[in-house]
Amino acid sequence: MTQILIQGLLLSGLYALIAVGFTLIFSVGRVLNLAYGAYLMVGAYAYFHFVQTMGMPQAYGMVLAVGIGALFGILKYRLIVRQLHGDQVAVEIATLILAVVVQAAIVLVFNDSAKIMHPIVPGVWRVGGATVTYNILAATIASWVILGGLWLFVTRTHAGRAMQAVSMDVKGAAISGIDPGRVNQITWAISGALGAIGGIFFASYTQLSPGMWVGPLIIAVAVVVVGGIGSILGALVVAHIIGFMEVTTTTLIAAELRGVFTMLLIIVVLIVAPKGLFGREEL
Amino acid sequence: MSRLSPFWRAVLLWALFAAVMLALPEVVSRGTMRTFIAAFFLAIFAMSWDFLSGRTGYISFGHPFLIGIGAYTTAILSYRFDVPVTLSIPVAVVVTMLAGTLFFLPALRIRGTYFALVTLAFMELMYQLVQVIRPDLTGGTRGISGIETLRRGAEANYYLAFTLMFVVAVTLWSLTRTRIGMALSAIGMNEAAVAGSGLDTTRLKLFAFMVSACVAGLGGAFYVHYLGSIAPRALFDINFLFTIIVAALIGGAGTITGPIAGALFLTFLLEELRPVLPGAERYLVYGGVALVLYIVQPKGLQALVMGLRGRRA
Amino acid sequence: MSRLLELQDVVKRFGGLIATNGLSFAVEEGESLGLIGPNGAGKTTIFSLIMGELRQNAGTIRLGGEEISRLPTHARIRRGVARTYQVPRPFAEMDVASNIQVGLMPPSLWRMLVEPRDRAAEAALAESVGLPAEDLARTPSELSVGDLRKLELARTLATEPRIVLLDEVFAGLTVGEIAQISELIAERRAAGMTFVIVSHDLRSLEPLVDRVVAMAYGAVIAEGAFAEVTADPAVRAAYLGT
Repeated sequence: MTQILIQGLLLSGLYALIAVGFTLIFSVGRVLNLAYGAYLMVGAYAYFHFVQTMGMPQAYGMVLAVGIGALFGILKYRLIVRQLHGDQVAVEIATLILAVVVQAAIVLVFNDSAKIMHPIVPGVWRVGGATVTYNILAATIASWVILGGLWLFVTRTHAGRAMQAVSMDVKGAAISGIDPGRVNQITWAISGALGAIGGIFFASYTQLSPGMWVGPLIIAVAVVVVGGIGSILGALVVAHIIGFMEVTTTTLIAAELRGVFTMLLIIVVLIVAPKGLFGREEL
Repeated sequence: MSRLSPFWRAVLLWALFAAVMLALPEVVSRGTMRTFIAAFFLAIFAMSWDFLSGRTGYISFGHPFLIGIGAYTTAILSYRFDVPVTLSIPVAVVVTMLAGTLFFLPALRIRGTYFALVTLAFMELMYQLVQVIRPDLTGGTRGISGIETLRRGAEANYYLAFTLMFVVAVTLWSLTRTRIGMALSAIGMNEAAVAGSGLDTTRLKLFAFMVSACVAGLGGAFYVHYLGSIAPRALFDINFLFTIIVAALIGGAGTITGPIAGALFLTFLLEELRPVLPGAERYLVYGGVALVLYIVQPKGLQALVMGLRGRRA
Repeated sequence: MSRLLELQDVVKRFGGLIATNGLSFAVEEGESLGLIGPNGAGKTTIFSLIMGELRQNAGTIRLGGEEISRLPTHARIRRGVARTYQVPRPFAEMDVASNIQVGLMPPSLWRMLVEPRDRAAEAALAESVGLPAEDLARTPSELSVGDLRKLELARTLATEPRIVLLDEVFAGLTVGEIAQISELIAERRAAGMTFVIVSHDLRSLEPLVDRVVAMAYGAVIAEGAFAEVTADPAVRAAYLGT
C-alpha cells in the first residue's frame, strides 16, 4: 500500500512534467504537436551524449540538452506550423511524420539498441518497507519545482500573461498589442525545453531507445484529452490519475497492462465526455 | 483518337493499367515482383485510409488496428482452429467491419484532431492487449508463424495481389463516382452544410467507415496469408501507420489513383534506398521527403504537378 | 391560414449568457416575416435552434403542428424547413452543379448509390435563382458574393422547403444583386413559399415582408406591420443602444 502510494506520487510528478509542455502548446497554439515525444527523445539522447559519452558535467549536459530542445521547438514552429497556417489536422499529420523522421535520425546516429542511462542522482532510500531511488525522487522534486516556476512565469510575468491572453483569444490579444506570432514562438521554445528536461528524467527512470517517444506522448495526449486545456492544475490532477492507475495496475494486476488503462481513459473520455472532465469549449 | 467521354477514357486507362501490370511478370525479376506485391498491399491499405480520411476529413490514426483485426482473425481461425481460408477470410472481413463500428462511435461526437487521437489510442490499446490477453491464441509478443499461404512463388502471388488491389481500386472508384461519393467528399469540405442539405451525415459516415474497414480487413487478411506470419509490433506500429498515411498523402488524398501511385513510389523508393541505407535509417530520407512534400503541398503530388503546370500556363 | 412554424417560450443559454429568453412567435403558412433587432439580439441563434444546429434549454418549436425539437437537422429539413447563412459556405472543391446536387440528393443511401444524378434539375435550380448556365462548371472561388448567395439559395431550395429562413441575405451585395435576390424572393412568395428574413437592411426588407418581429436581448420587444414596428420607441431605443 505504501509502495503504491509513494511510487504513484513519484511517477505522477514525472508525468505532470512530461505532459505540461504538450498542454502548453495546445492551449496557446491550438495545435496538437505529435512530435512532442521527439523533444523528450532529443533531450534525453543529447544529455546522454554530452554526459555519458563525452563526459561533461551533468549540469552542463542538462543545460545544453534543454537548449537543444528549445531550439528544436522554435524550428518546428517556424518551419512547419507556420507554413501550414495553423491548420490543426495538417499540423497533426506533419508532426507525426516529423516524429518518425526524428526517430530514424536517432537510429542513424546512436543505432537502434536501447541504452541505459546512469541515474542522475544515484542511491536508494528505504522508507516504510518501500524502496525509492534517489533518482526518481529527484525527478519528482525537479518536476514540482519546474511546474511551480512555470506557474509563476505564466501568472506573474509579462510574457506569461501574454501567453494566457493568446490562449484565450488570439484576435483580442492581437488588438491589445500582443504579437501572437512572437508569443507562439516563445511558447514553442518553452515547450521544447520542458520536453527535453522531461525526457532526461524519463530516460533515467526507464531507458533510452528510439521508440521511447510513443509512451510519453500517449500520456501527454491523455492529460490534454482528460484534463482540458490550458490549466497547469488540470494537467497535475490528470497526471496523478494516470500515474496512480499505472502503479496500481502494475502492482496489483500485471505490468504488461500498465498502459491499457491510459488508452481506455482516452477512448472513454472522448466518447462519453468529449469536452473533457475539466471543461473545454471547442472541439 | 476519337473523342471519348471522361468516363470511357477512365475505363480505358484502368484497362491499360491492368494490361501493363499483368504483363510485367514476363519482364521483371522475382525480387522486383516481391516489391510490387508489397506495394499492392500498401496501396490497398492506403486506399482504405483514404476512402475514410481523405474523403470525409475524419483522420484515422488507427488503421493498423483495423488491418490487424482482419489479419489476426483469419490467422487465428486458420492456424489454431483449422478453419479453411475460404471461410476465415470472409469472417475476418466481417469482424473488421464490426470493429469499424467501434471506431465510428467517437466520430459521432468529435472530429478533427480528437478523432485522430482516439483512433491512435485504439491502435496502442490493441498492441498491448494482443500480447497479454489469450497469448495461447495470438502468440503473444512473438505472434504466429507458419500460417497457411494462398499461393506459392513470386509470380502467382503477384497476380493474386494485383487482382485484389485492382478489384478494390475499381470498386472504390465506382463508389466515388456515385452520389454517395460526392456526399462523402462534401462532408470533408463542410459537414454542417451537408446536414443542412437534408442528408443524414451519421449514416453517410457509417457507410464510409464500413467500406474503409471492409477494405482494411480484406487487405489485412490476404496480407497475413501472403506473409505466412504475424507479429504485433510489425502491425500495430506507428511506422506502419506512417507508411500508410504518407502513401495516401503523397499521391494525393481524396483520389483513388493517388494512394496507388503513392504506394508504388514509396515502396520502390524504400527498395532503392536499401543498398545505400540498410535498416531503419531509410525512414529518415523517406520521412524527410514526405515531410517536405507535405508542407509544400498538403494535397499531394498530383496537386503539386497540376499546380506547376497551371503556373507555367 | 394555419400556423406553419411556432416557437413557444424558447430559452437558450450559453453558459451564463442568455441568448433567447422565453421567446415566442409564430409564422403563418404563406406569410413572410421579417426578424429585426440589433447585433447580438439572438436572431441567428433562433435560426440555429429551429434547424436543430443548437438545442434549446426550454420551450417548444413546432413545424406544421409537430414538435420538432428532438429531431436532428436532416429530419427537420425533410419536414420542410431550410435556412441560409450570413456567410455562404459552399463546398469549395466542387463545381456549382455538384453543390446544388448535394441539396437534391435523396435520403436513401441505396438511391444515392444506384440512381444517376439529375443534371436537368441542377440546371433548372441554377436558372431559377439567376445563376447563368456557364457557372455550373465553375468552382465557388470563381463566384462573386452575390452569386455565392444565389448558389446557397439554389441548394436550399433544392430540398423543397415549405419555409425558408434567410439570414442577412443582402449583406455584402451590390444594389443590382439586392434587386435580383429581392425579385427572387418575391417570386417564391407569390408561389406560396413561407419566409422568415433576418436583415439589417431595413429598406430592402420592407417590400418583402408582411409582418415584422423586433428582438432585443433574446426577447420579442415589438410585433406587427413594418411601419408600426420600426416606429416603436422601444425598437428605436434598442437600435440606438440605450
